[in-house]
Amino acid sequence: MKRLITALVFALLVSVPATAQQQPGSDVADDLPAGVAEEQITVSSTYGGSYITVFGVNPDRRGRGDIVVVLRGPTEPATVMRKRRVPGGQFPFGLWVNGDAVRFSEAPAFFAVLSNRPLREIASPESIWRYQLDPAASAQLASAVPAGGDPSAYRAALVRLRREQGLYQWYTRPPQEGVRGGLTAYQGGLFRAVVRLPANAPIAQYHADTYLFRDGRLISRQRIPIMISRVGVERTIHDLATNVSWLYGIVTVLLALLAGWGASVVFRRP
Amino acid sequence: MIYLPIAEMPVAVLLILLVSGAVGFVSGLVGVGGGFIMTPALLFLGIPAPVAVATGASQIAATSFSGIMTQQRRKSVDWRMGLLLSIGGVIGGSAGVALFERLLRLGQLDLIVSALYLVLLSSVGFLMVRESYRFWRGRPPKSVSILRRPLKSIAHNLPFRLRFPRSGLYISALPPLGIGFGIGALSAIMGIGGGFILIPAMIYLLRMPTNVVIGTSQFQVLVISSLIVILQSVTTQTVDLVLALLLMAGGVVGAQIGARVGAGIKAEYVRGILGALLVAASVKFLFDLVIPPEEVYLLGGGVG
Repeated sequence: MKRLITALVFALLVSVPATAQQQPGSDVADDLPAGVAEEQITVSSTYGGSYITVFGVNPDRRGRGDIVVVLRGPTEPATVMRKRRVPGGQFPFGLWVNGDAVRFSEAPAFFAVLSNRPLREIASPESIWRYQLDPAASAQLASAVPAGGDPSAYRAALVRLRREQGLYQWYTRPPQEGVRGGLTAYQGGLFRAVVRLPANAPIAQYHADTYLFRDGRLISRQRIPIMISRVGVERTIHDLATNVSWLYGIVTVLLALLAGWGASVVFRRP
Repeated sequence: MIYLPIAEMPVAVLLILLVSGAVGFVSGLVGVGGGFIMTPALLFLGIPAPVAVATGASQIAATSFSGIMTQQRRKSVDWRMGLLLSIGGVIGGSAGVALFERLLRLGQLDLIVSALYLVLLSSVGFLMVRESYRFWRGRPPKSVSILRRPLKSIAHNLPFRLRFPRSGLYISALPPLGIGFGIGALSAIMGIGGGFILIPAMIYLLRMPTNVVIGTSQFQVLVISSLIVILQSVTTQTVDLVLALLLMAGGVVGAQIGARVGAGIKAEYVRGILGALLVAASVKFLFDLVIPPEEVYLLGGGVG
């Protein structure tokens, strides 16, 4: 495996031309040599999640700096609700109902950050916010927070709940016994990041972003798209549901009638 | 394990079949759609709420059709009554959707839905259990006899009287339409089929004979749930065909077994079972509402 990666990285180093694209007004280079093991991930009826492998090389010849890898899913609107008690106040009994919804115009549907040590030791808080190395930094509030509410509490709740669903992940260590995900650094500046993509992660275009930080500053980065798409029956059903939704609904009802009729015939008393 | 294309998650096939089979069994036994058990069960299995509601309706359509076929052989479906209830239900459902949106804008939807659930589940359940208990004790069902005394109910005095040969009734068409309307509106707001309210309404308000009540309510449930499947497919696109097929397969088998078992039990006991289920559901619901939650935040799917 190690040799395979070395070979892949070597091929990559040769193929990436030395066109370090400097953005105007920025001293960050977009030339970090990196690649992904699979640019296409297909979802069939047996899909149960997958692993995404990002590999690359620290371009600093003396191996200085820290590599951070971020796998980002699509950004989508999200809603966070806070339960409230009716009636409120000191009344001893009450019903807990959903209330006080706060909308985010966009929040990453999937987000994984990989580094070799805690991110705060690698990048300054400004950098973490600016380059959106934390899902909370990417979540845009769309509606006013209800009176007495704390916007950062809603943001934190969004991150916490998504983390519990396995949609937001943090790795600060190499893969451990029983944990396949993590960032491993090899000799010669070679690194490999493995992210567990759970089955409940949305099917969409993802991006693997690699960053090189030195002394808290971003030096170099690279962005690689990864496409996750449905194939076979999964694709057919999804396309039908999206494109011919009337027909799809009617067919579902007809199948329901067929199932009901079939069962009543099979179970008919002789 | 099989991956669901719309819900975008894998599920255990056997588990889904077992759950839908159990819901189908209850449905076939007592003649309710089972939506009020199915939706929470799917949510518990991790299915997103919009998919659970929309796809659950397809299973209800399948089990109710399977139930109708069985009931039809016993000549216990009053088609004319079912049609009237369905027409009222479709109109009421549309009105309910409009009301749903209005309550959502006022921010009171969740409270009203919770209160409605609690009051309806517990009161209907309690009435049924009490009646079944009285029957079991061998006492004359007092409440029913009081209700039954004026055999000519208001339904006999209103205009547009129709004959319902299967039910042996000659009553106005307005009460069935009105009941259908009310159930339809409730279904839209509460996201359930409404069979558990429809059955007592048919027995106590329309004075329909118990033997035709289940088949007829299943007919109304079939019409409403089919409509929900088609409308959800078009508007929210949350009907998952793979999940629907699994639910149907488990549901119809369960419903057939349930109907078979139900035929061998006295109707009063069946109603007692349904009542006990409703009371149990309302107690669970009350606990969820009253106990302070550990996590006060939750991710919204846009569903009340």
